[in-house]
Amino acid sequence: MAELTSDIAADDGVIVRDLTMRFGDALVQKDLCFHIQRASIFVIMGVSGCGKSTLLRHMIDLQHSGNGDISFDGQRLWSSDRNERAALQRRIGVLFQSTALWSSMTVGENVALPLQLHTPLRPGEISDQVAFKLALVGLAGQEDKMPSELSGGMQKRAGLARAIALDPDYLFLDEPSAGLDPITSQRLDALILRLRDALQLSVIAVTHELPSIFTIADDSIYLDNQTHTAIAHGDPCELARHSTSASVRAFLNREPLDDDA
Amino acid sequence: MAGRRGVKTALYRLEDSADRPIIWLSGDWARAEHPPASETVAQSVGSAAAVVVIDGSALDNAHPRIAAFIHGLRGLLSQRGMGVELQHLPENVSALMQLARPAPARAAAAPRRPNSLARLGMRVRRRWGTAADTAHLVGEALVLTPKLVSGRAQTRWRDFVDLIHETGAASLPVVTVVNLLIGAVIGFIGAVQLKTFGAGMYLADLVGVASAREMAAIMTAFIMAGRIGATFAAHLATMEANEEIDALRMIGVSPFEFLALPRLAAMTLMMPLLYLYGAVLAIIGGMVVANIVLGTPPASFFERLQDAVSGTQFVIGFVKSVAFGVLIALTSCYIGLHAGRNAAEVGRAATRTVVACIIGIISIDALAALCTNALGI
Repeated sequence: MAELTSDIAADDGVIVRDLTMRFGDALVQKDLCFHIQRASIFVIMGVSGCGKSTLLRHMIDLQHSGNGDISFDGQRLWSSDRNERAALQRRIGVLFQSTALWSSMTVGENVALPLQLHTPLRPGEISDQVAFKLALVGLAGQEDKMPSELSGGMQKRAGLARAIALDPDYLFLDEPSAGLDPITSQRLDALILRLRDALQLSVIAVTHELPSIFTIADDSIYLDNQTHTAIAHGDPCELARHSTSASVRAFLNREPLDDDA
Repeated sequence: MAGRRGVKTALYRLEDSADRPIIWLSGDWARAEHPPASETVAQSVGSAAAVVVIDGSALDNAHPRIAAFIHGLRGLLSQRGMGVELQHLPENVSALMQLARPAPARAAAAPRRPNSLARLGMRVRRRWGTAADTAHLVGEALVLTPKLVSGRAQTRWRDFVDLIHETGAASLPVVTVVNLLIGAVIGFIGAVQLKTFGAGMYLADLVGVASAREMAAIMTAFIMAGRIGATFAAHLATMEANEEIDALRMIGVSPFEFLALPRLAAMTLMMPLLYLYGAVLAIIGGMVVANIVLGTPPASFFERLQDAVSGTQFVIGFVKSVAFGVLIALTSCYIGLHAGRNAAEVGRAATRTVVACIIGIISIDALAALCTNALGI
């Protein structure tokens, strides 16, 4: 069970306290408590349907269907006023599961739009930013392509370029490797690690791709769909070997649970 | 040359010399409202030097904007055959610069634009393709209709019932309002004009013939094109984008048979019924106006209507409404099934359907007017 220790400074990274999420009367997860350190990669794990993406949507303020508290560097998300929340959202970049690139815009326009809306930059300055962000994700010179002209892996990278357009402090990734071949998936993992190091990003990823989890995660939480709460917290490599929960070990070692045998 | 434009503006200074120009970067780029654009700075660098030095020793911080600027500048200068030497850059900026891959070299020359004759040929070929697809669709509809009637078509009857409800009962409110008002408008304009000549008694002729023969069929068709045609096209285009139609093909189901045929049948059945309903309401609208403006009692209006409007007028309107129903269903299904695979195409499919249906409805109506005139009916 994830717990918060008292020595965590209130303004340090992301802190989730006593978060309970519901869909109507149905409980999704309860009593979630965890801390995400700055410039680290934190993975939210669990079997399908356990509420991983719902937790991510709560953390990025797209959904609010429960109790508890989420704070970013000491700023409490749900008790902030609208302007503060909007300012906080601009410090958050999100790569959606389906990439959610705007299909009527070119790749360059997709990356440029957040800059046009939220910065005073002029067109020439925005062009520099767009070209650079695309170069960072290995899509240099692809500004004029439409999203439909890109492969799945390239779309993921274009989505990543859009997510880091505003130089966010926090990067949320929803199933970044889903639907990608192992080589593209490995390249994306390497890219995430390099971006974290170069941009000093705090990365929060929802995934159940084991190779990705073991490659990128500094810390993790495992959401259980039976008890509807987090039953493990820590380095996934450690959890795979020493977790007290059989379902966590089964998940991380890709083994059948005793119930399934 | 200095780039100082205010307290919050990022700073750079170009020390231009023929053999070794140096760009000194300085200040707080994180808070700068307008960091210099690489294009502006590149233009101010002379072309004589082989290498331009970028020095970051006076920078206050290591914001990613600095790396974006240098990346852009390096690209622009390399196009002019000039190299870039980086010195004293903050560690994070250097790391970002290493991460950013340069753009691959552009293709040597853009493909030449085809000449006007070739463009005309390509256009004709595209149009011919569309015409062939349309003929294929109509042929498929003709071949598969007996299969549908005999209950052997690969379709779900539950979908068909839902479509009957969607196209029929669910359309009643809007068909009611529009036809009632159209009848009232025709009645009002007619009453004012006919009253001038003392021919108010002929208002029933005007409202009856106009509604039964033209307006009820056309207005109902316009409503159905906007309401149902657009829905069909958007739904099928969404299914195409989500690969649902490919999934149907993979289980051996013809998308036309499963998706378009029930829509075609529902529209063909419901359009004439909605037309009859609309015609009656338009006549009622005209009758109410005749009563209010001319003081004609409803019984007298109805009596005159029976003399003036023959069953033939309703038959013409009825046949046209069947044609309109077929047109709307086939057009919307054709456009929906041939839409591209993204969200923008869904909206485009809906718009194209409405526009194509309106043009088609007017064209069919004009053709029908010519035919009935030639036949003397």
